[in-house]
Amino acid sequence: MSEQDIPIHSPAIESLYDTEILVIGSGAGGATTAALLAEAGFDVLVVEEGAWVEQGSVVPFSLEQMNQQYRSAGVTVALGLPSIAYTEGRCAGGGTEVNSGLYRRPPAELLERWRTQYHIRDLDPDEMYAIAHELETALNVTTVPGQVSAPSMVLHRGAEALSWENSESPRWMKYPPGGNAASGQRQSMTRTYLPRAHRAGARIITQCRVRKLVINGTSASQADVVLANGMPGRIRFRHVFVCGGAIHTPALLQRSGLHERIGDTLAVHPTVKLAARFPEAINVPDDVPVHQVKEFAPEISFGGSASNPGLVAMALADNWTEFGHAVNEWQRVSVYYAAITSQGKGRVKAIPGMRDPLVTYHLTGRDKQLLRSGLSRLTLLMLAAGANEVYPSYRGAPLVRTPGDISNLQHSFATTKATVMTVHLCSTVPIGEHPRCAANSFGQVRGMKNVWVNDASMLPDAPGVNPQGSVQAFAVRNARRFIETNSPRG
Amino acid sequence: MRAALSKRTLLVADYSLPSATVVTGAAGWLGRALVHHLSTDSGAYKRDGVLRALVLNEQEAQAVRDVSTNVETVIGSVTDPRSLERLLDGLPADTDVIHTAGVIHPGKVSDFFDVNTTGAANMASAVHRAGLRRMVHVSSNSPFGTNPSELDTFRAHEPYNPYLGYGKSKMQGELAVLAQVEQGLDAVIVRPPWFYGPLQPPRQTTFFRMVRSGKFPKFGAGNQRRSMVFVDNLVQGIVRAELTPNTSGRGYWIADARPYTVNEIIDTVGRALRDEGYDVKPGAMKLPVFAGRIAERADRLIQGTGRYQQQLHVMGEMTHSIACDIDAAREELGYDPQFELYDGMRRSIQWCRAEGLEL
Repeated sequence: MSEQDIPIHSPAIESLYDTEILVIGSGAGGATTAALLAEAGFDVLVVEEGAWVEQGSVVPFSLEQMNQQYRSAGVTVALGLPSIAYTEGRCAGGGTEVNSGLYRRPPAELLERWRTQYHIRDLDPDEMYAIAHELETALNVTTVPGQVSAPSMVLHRGAEALSWENSESPRWMKYPPGGNAASGQRQSMTRTYLPRAHRAGARIITQCRVRKLVINGTSASQADVVLANGMPGRIRFRHVFVCGGAIHTPALLQRSGLHERIGDTLAVHPTVKLAARFPEAINVPDDVPVHQVKEFAPEISFGGSASNPGLVAMALADNWTEFGHAVNEWQRVSVYYAAITSQGKGRVKAIPGMRDPLVTYHLTGRDKQLLRSGLSRLTLLMLAAGANEVYPSYRGAPLVRTPGDISNLQHSFATTKATVMTVHLCSTVPIGEHPRCAANSFGQVRGMKNVWVNDASMLPDAPGVNPQGSVQAFAVRNARRFIETNSPRG
Repeated sequence: MRAALSKRTLLVADYSLPSATVVTGAAGWLGRALVHHLSTDSGAYKRDGVLRALVLNEQEAQAVRDVSTNVETVIGSVTDPRSLERLLDGLPADTDVIHTAGVIHPGKVSDFFDVNTTGAANMASAVHRAGLRRMVHVSSNSPFGTNPSELDTFRAHEPYNPYLGYGKSKMQGELAVLAQVEQGLDAVIVRPPWFYGPLQPPRQTTFFRMVRSGKFPKFGAGNQRRSMVFVDNLVQGIVRAELTPNTSGRGYWIADARPYTVNEIIDTVGRALRDEGYDVKPGAMKLPVFAGRIAERADRLIQGTGRYQQQLHVMGEMTHSIACDIDAAREELGYDPQFELYDGMRRSIQWCRAEGLEL
């Protein structure tokens, strides 16, 4: 049978699989790891809890997509005051199938800070940027051909009026010749690294949930799984790379009996939102703006959110009686966010007998001030861009029409009244030689000979930029180090 | 730092010097510094023509005449629109008005609004009605509150977030001036943070005494950042704003070149005092941050009852950063501050000594 005849993925149904390398999770970290190791000659099996959903079979950012490709239909909650809602992809390709597709290299200052603060060995910026360059080619990272979308122009126009630094973030997108901003095709993992892994001989099985790793002393030998048909199964391996994302990687390690420093340092980019109404139609329901405003980075960043009518309604929901009417004019409305780098503390804790772990997150006083200031500055930007009305997204928020109205926002805002949410979850198994790190400088879990992490959980703390580029760059670096120090079984 | 290309190079030439200049709040600290610099031989921006000063009473008029002999005083108040008509009576069209009148530490909270809000509105409308060339409105950092973190710096454009009664009254003052700009008034807003220098009022002398005795209150690690402005830098900024066309409706931070940390302020002032021959007890009164938060809350409660307590107010603000970025003033006004904290503080100390003030 030729390679073309083997389907790229299949539901997990065998009661026993054997593999040299097991990669758990098929998102930015897992897919990249699988491709590199398979190309180096290792026998690789990728297991994914979700299904393989072909791109184009669901509308991007739609409710249907939330049902099919996100965990818990799109919203999970980290407990705390306030509770923070977060979303996680659960499908082949993980978060890369559902996120905004914006790409940022890890900033040089960030790499330097991580290297020194967490004692990450051999973290060479030149090597990281050479890897970033490879990734950018592999993912076709590019800017929009021609004019960016109207909601993106709002960010650009408002920031320019205020002399605030802003730029178009490139995305991993392919545009047909002569295409426009709306014609791009996402270069997510199901289009890039998963097919690459498959071509190099990796097997990809879906709808397979890993319950736990069986560990004896300093080695893990097999994974106990639940197959697509609900039956139990086993996967035997020599090495395992856990790449289930910042919530489920530590939860799985904890269920397997590994606890030390695992799950104690969840980092996120807490985000608050607003909806703004303009004199003209600006809404683009199936895409997100590509401009980001970095004037106050890394502490505060602004950008645009998905804004289909359902999501516009959600942004207005906290004050529905006063703001709800705006949904009737959703074509003139778009949703924007202010995100911060938090100094708060979060935790992931697997609870025996529960399918999902308990996630908690606590904002600091400074975080709350930054969220207030971020939402206020974003409101000013909307007025500078020509918004008629701004609807901040928290209970009891004032309607803002003039700069003077923003003082009411500043005084009435409290994070306990807001739907604080986040997308960039990371840092639950931080790498480095510092005592607070749960894995070594290359992702090997402390005290374990053959258990590795290679996803967002390894980032030492929140990067302050869209993290996928950082996750993949570290995943490539660590996979290469693994290849240098381990040989495929003959 | 921002792009090197100065936007100023794109602007047309400066306004010529006005035939007449009006200063309100002339007996105040900043007012007298302006009168000194605009009308005396030792002033940095001496100009010909009429200099007319608004003062509250004869005692204030005398204080202004003590600074300069080239000044006409008019007794009145920004709270009394008829007195403002008298103030502006008979002035030529190329007259500029520098509006410094304001209340910062009042007896009662309502004074804030009478002077800082209604007074600014009265002044803006009087200048507009009289058809004068330009108004420079001296505002404050207070309409913008405090920075959300110690690393944050206020940019040229910020959303209003007024700090208590003073901040709210100054915000509404700005909005009243901007409303007149919409009607056609040419007015520019200058926003100085905490200022210091010669002619300072007694409360600033207390500041030197606290540093000398090692009792300046320091909350937490003392890393809060503070923008400050030496009064001569501020006068330069006001004159630059006055004479730069095409800036109507804009607001500019006018401060020393960079913000200082509280630790740096205590150390630098201590060094300036020592270099002027004073004994300085090292250190500061270290206080936990929550003590400042309590002061802040008490200030809020007391102001809620319509009263005002200066020490509490200043303590409450000290736990936060108030740092601003002067790039817009540099680029658009050509503002170029000449004094840093150490030099400015030495000059202040020398002035205090010359005045016979006990430090």
